[in-house]
Amino acid sequence: MPDYRVKNLAELLVKYSLRLKKGEWVHITGPAVAEELIRCCQAEALQAGANVSLQVTLPGTNYVFFKHARRDQLRFIPPLERTVVEELDAMISIWGGMNTKELSGIDPQRIALFQAARKPLFARRLEREAKGEFRWVGTLFPTHSSAQDAEMSLSEYEDFVYGAGMVDRPGAIRHWQKVSRRQARLVRFLNRLAEIRVVGEDTDITFRTEGRRWINCDGRVNFPDGEVFTSPIENGTEGYVRYSFPAVYAGREVQGIRLRFEKGRVVEAKAEKNEEFLRAMVKTDSGSCRVGELAFGTNYRIQRFTRNTLFDEKIGGTMHVAIGAALPETGGKNKSGVHWDMVCDTRKGFVVYGDGRPIARDGRFLAGWA
Amino acid sequence: MLQEGSEEQIVYVHPLEKSEAEEFETRLVIRAESNTMALASVDPQRIARQRASRQMLFNRILERKARGELRTCLTRFPTEAAAQAAAMSLAEYEEFVFKACLLDRPDPIAAWQEVSAVQQQYVDRLSGVSRLRIEGEGTELELSVRGRRWINSDGKANFPSGEVFTGPVEDSAEGRIHFDIPSVYSGRKVEGIALEFSSGRVVRAQAEKGDDLLQALLNTDGNSRLLGEVAFGLNYSISRATGEILFDEKIGGTVHLALGAGYPETLSRNRSSIHWDMIKDMRREGRVIADGRVIYEKGRFVA
Repeated sequence: MPDYRVKNLAELLVKYSLRLKKGEWVHITGPAVAEELIRCCQAEALQAGANVSLQVTLPGTNYVFFKHARRDQLRFIPPLERTVVEELDAMISIWGGMNTKELSGIDPQRIALFQAARKPLFARRLEREAKGEFRWVGTLFPTHSSAQDAEMSLSEYEDFVYGAGMVDRPGAIRHWQKVSRRQARLVRFLNRLAEIRVVGEDTDITFRTEGRRWINCDGRVNFPDGEVFTSPIENGTEGYVRYSFPAVYAGREVQGIRLRFEKGRVVEAKAEKNEEFLRAMVKTDSGSCRVGELAFGTNYRIQRFTRNTLFDEKIGGTMHVAIGAALPETGGKNKSGVHWDMVCDTRKGFVVYGDGRPIARDGRFLAGWA
Repeated sequence: MLQEGSEEQIVYVHPLEKSEAEEFETRLVIRAESNTMALASVDPQRIARQRASRQMLFNRILERKARGELRTCLTRFPTEAAAQAAAMSLAEYEEFVFKACLLDRPDPIAAWQEVSAVQQQYVDRLSGVSRLRIEGEGTELELSVRGRRWINSDGKANFPSGEVFTGPVEDSAEGRIHFDIPSVYSGRKVEGIALEFSSGRVVRAQAEKGDDLLQALLNTDGNSRLLGEVAFGLNYSISRATGEILFDEKIGGTVHLALGAGYPETLSRNRSSIHWDMIKDMRREGRVIADGRVIYEKGRFVA
């Protein structure tokens, strides 16, 4: 008998996130340790009338691949992967595993080579997604390994994960429909603004957002969800920000980041720990010193920092500002090989101004914006 | 248990545990967590109370060990969780562990017998020594080991092993020392510890990271500012720190000191409810002087 929360989650992914229909082809990928969720998703998808294929990875196989593959093997794209990208109607990606640090010893250039080879495939996927031919949702199955990163026992972590997605009680789908409508109002309001200024401890930063689209993240693409984001105008960011949470990129943790922007560019980058890595990332390419994303986390069921971006960037009352690549659906133009989300806790003493008027205080949007 | 148990349940010692302490002839403890942070949110007071309720049993085990009635060995089976804590894949971590255990040698038992013989030479040399002086980056520390017994840790009580240790004279440490390898205490990392000693006691302490935990542990009890151990890590098959003390304190080319309880077999008299190891890397620079003669330099005993 699976955990009822796993069944609820599978139902939500199939009926709410992907809205699978009869005759569609859905591909489910995930690690063996998530077998319970994989089986539940398979059952839900079959009941919805969809055709299901599975791709289950075993512990350690990722490491074996990156350790032993030669350059041509890293670049090789099995025809299977192409078929999946070209013909799939929908996909459920289940993350999680046995060891979040498994690739720590692998040369990052090898991973970059693997990703670069898949760039055209990824672009094609985005294209089909934009045209409405393909739907995708990613979620995390709670395991000891992620619990360890979050400094929790597995049962505490399961409570945290299922609580964040509201699948620990009946009516989860109705809840997310409500979230979706509420955030749609917020997005319509933010779309009318030309400028956002965030002021708080060690922070006074202004973004130009005129003409850019805000996107409602309501659990269709990521689950759990709860965020609204845009990509600000590339040369419009001015001021400084201090990130209270550690920022993690490619398994490396940087603490106490402070950035100062002039005409959209980072002109000063400091950190309490791992500053060199931060500077190297900022200097990666011509776009990595600019803001690619500005977002507000709106999931107030997530309160704690757990070293996993899927959850951290959605903490209710936080702002995240990513350096690097913009998200094209917002109208953002910044191009970069980097997209690094850094989360700033705005729950104490922070005010967000929209075109000069306060719109959020202490991490809560003020009544009247809708 | 620690999360859900009542106060009575936490301190309840069941008969099996008593029999373990009283009647076992040998005991092999295998550590293998599936989540190294599983107890991170448990109130430390509850863990302390559980530990305190077993203090009598623990003392009884030490007593029977000293009399030769009980042999114990502690080891670690490599798991994904421990690999993750060490920032390695399981395959890399298994290789690390088995290499540290000399299990990659054609005849591991013979290899450990050789370790034992080499370490016995160091123990013999150190046995006549009165004063030790440790020098290195941020370090000038003098202490007395006069009349104390050096122990050859050759893979019987800890596996893997590879160290020689004793308990310094309690009121003898003078000077300062800087530890460059992080010290982990119940899952939390303390980095860049600098200690200053006067008459054996820590009079100033600072850590670059985790300073609050360092200060709290120093104030655990009346003897937690005194040294309980000084040791040389001699397992040169271990070269990197992984946050697991069983391995870290044995890194070949390191010395470590422990604050708090000493081991009775060394004739240390310090008693405390903590025993916290701190490790100094001596491989790049640093030396140890025994009664005025350099005996150890750049991570190795001089011939």
